[in-house]
Amino acid sequence: MRLSGENTKKLCGARRLSLNALLKRAGVSKTAYYHLIDKESVLPRSIGALAAALGVRPSALLEESDRESRRALRLLEAADRIAGSDPSMDRDNIRHTLLLLEEKPIDRLRRSLLRARKPDLHQ
Amino acid sequence: MPENLIFTNKEIGFLRELKRQKVEFMLVGAAAAALQGAPVVTQDVDLWFEDVKDPGIQTALRKSSGIMVPSFGQNGPTFAGEAVKLFDIVLTMPGLMGFDEERKNSFDVRLGSVNVRILELGRIIKSKETIGRPKDLLVLPVLRDTLKTLRHKKTRRKPARTKRGR
Repeated sequence: MRLSGENTKKLCGARRLSLNALLKRAGVSKTAYYHLIDKESVLPRSIGALAAALGVRPSALLEESDRESRRALRLLEAADRIAGSDPSMDRDNIRHTLLLLEEKPIDRLRRSLLRARKPDLHQ
Repeated sequence: MPENLIFTNKEIGFLRELKRQKVEFMLVGAAAAALQGAPVVTQDVDLWFEDVKDPGIQTALRKSSGIMVPSFGQNGPTFAGEAVKLFDIVLTMPGLMGFDEERKNSFDVRLGSVNVRILELGRIIKSKETIGRPKDLLVLPVLRDTLKTLRHKKTRRKPARTKRGR
């Protein structure tokens, strides 16, 4: 399984990011990135061997380790999409709204009432 | 999940009793905005009544061990009592039409075990723009961003099934 430079650039384009900006945001050096691009496979050799022995693609053996991080990523992508369509919008407002929309209305209301009662809110 | 220590069965019971008494009301203000996903804080839940003299309000208050304190001086009428102290009475919504006309700009939301009518976010924004107090102006950018986010989401998926105003 290779790292696709083409897919990376496409995803950057969709988010109005240059490749350099992406690498900076992700904290990945150009050297590390191009090293990965050049590799025949970014997966450990043993995973390839296991997959070959089972007659499946290596991706069939993998799963996302953290469902919450996947959910958070999906939400950030949605916030990016919306912010990209209207630069006047505040990204945090969008993200918080999207988070609240995943809750039941009564829980949204309780949050807003509870926060108003936090004594340290304005400190 | 937030703690369930606030807005409990007491408050929901009062809203249910208002509906049982067929009192016409809707939630407005920051609480209604929060119900629609706005990341805002609020001290109280504003209830806009079609007719604040509706006898059903007094019946609902009695059943919830609450009372209505009549207006005096610059202060409008208020509720008192454990089950109703979170609610504020709204007599008019500046910048908007009357209650009956604004009903078409409202929809039902499930609040615990009861469906309550709430005013659309766009109309809440319009009213806050008209009032223009510093606290309203501060929250307006957040409300506008929430409205744009909701519209953006609506264009990407089917609208939620809600009962619109009659």
